[in-house]
Amino acid sequence: MKQKCDNAIADRRSFLKLAGAGAVTGGAVLVGGKGAAEASTTADGTGRHYKETDHIKTYYELARY
Amino acid sequence: MSDVDALATEDLLRARMYRFLARLLSAPPDEAMLKSLSEMDGDDTGLGKAMLSFANIASKINQEQAEEEYHDLFIGVARGELLPYGSYYLTGFLHEKPLSKLRNDMAQLGIASDASHKEPEDHIASLMDMMAGLITGEFGEPAPLAGQKAFFEAHIASWASHFFADLEGAKSSVLYAAIGTIGRSFMEIEATAFSMS
Repeated sequence: MKQKCDNAIADRRSFLKLAGAGAVTGGAVLVGGKGAAEASTTADGTGRHYKETDHIKTYYELARY
Repeated sequence: MSDVDALATEDLLRARMYRFLARLLSAPPDEAMLKSLSEMDGDDTGLGKAMLSFANIASKINQEQAEEEYHDLFIGVARGELLPYGSYYLTGFLHEKPLSKLRNDMAQLGIASDASHKEPEDHIASLMDMMAGLITGEFGEPAPLAGQKAFFEAHIASWASHFFADLEGAKSSVLYAAIGTIGRSFMEIEATAFSMS
């Protein structure tokens, strides 16, 4: 079972690579990494906020890969 | 605290693609962003070619044109050319059952919408943003693939491709037509990848 599961994950990964999930690696990309994640953790205790329209601009920086 | 460093490369790239779509669908790019977008590269996959074509258009338009296009598409005088909400696409009306289903799932996943934000949560940009957050773990731990798949299938798969196709064909679309192509292509990739999991 585990073997089957691992194979499925490997297939999915190879598919994603082939299909071009890495299409933007060569140039400037929008960073959704740590900076954005940290900025969004202004949780009020009940849940994390997802970033939205006007706010989104503040959180997302353009950066070199 | 998200655990972005621990993400597999392809998941990080998926999150970035979702974030990219969320950003451009929530507001038009400004001059600096257009410049960066115009420098994007793509490989010779379908998605890569769509990114290149988008970058090419981004290099030819200015902020004012991008703003005007965004306005015509999504804001308009009475309304924009497109209504990018799940509920509208699935039922023909805003604020219908698909939105309440989404709100239930958001509550379960610990996702809260920003109190200052008045748009319904089933806006395409919000959904793309939530997918990115689920992948990177902004709402707690990164969601397991099964959780991402369940969210995608419940709230995105049934209509997002139609929306992106509409965006490709919209009268006011130039830069956003290219975003439509990217979105449609990415939704197909995601659906296929989830079907392998």
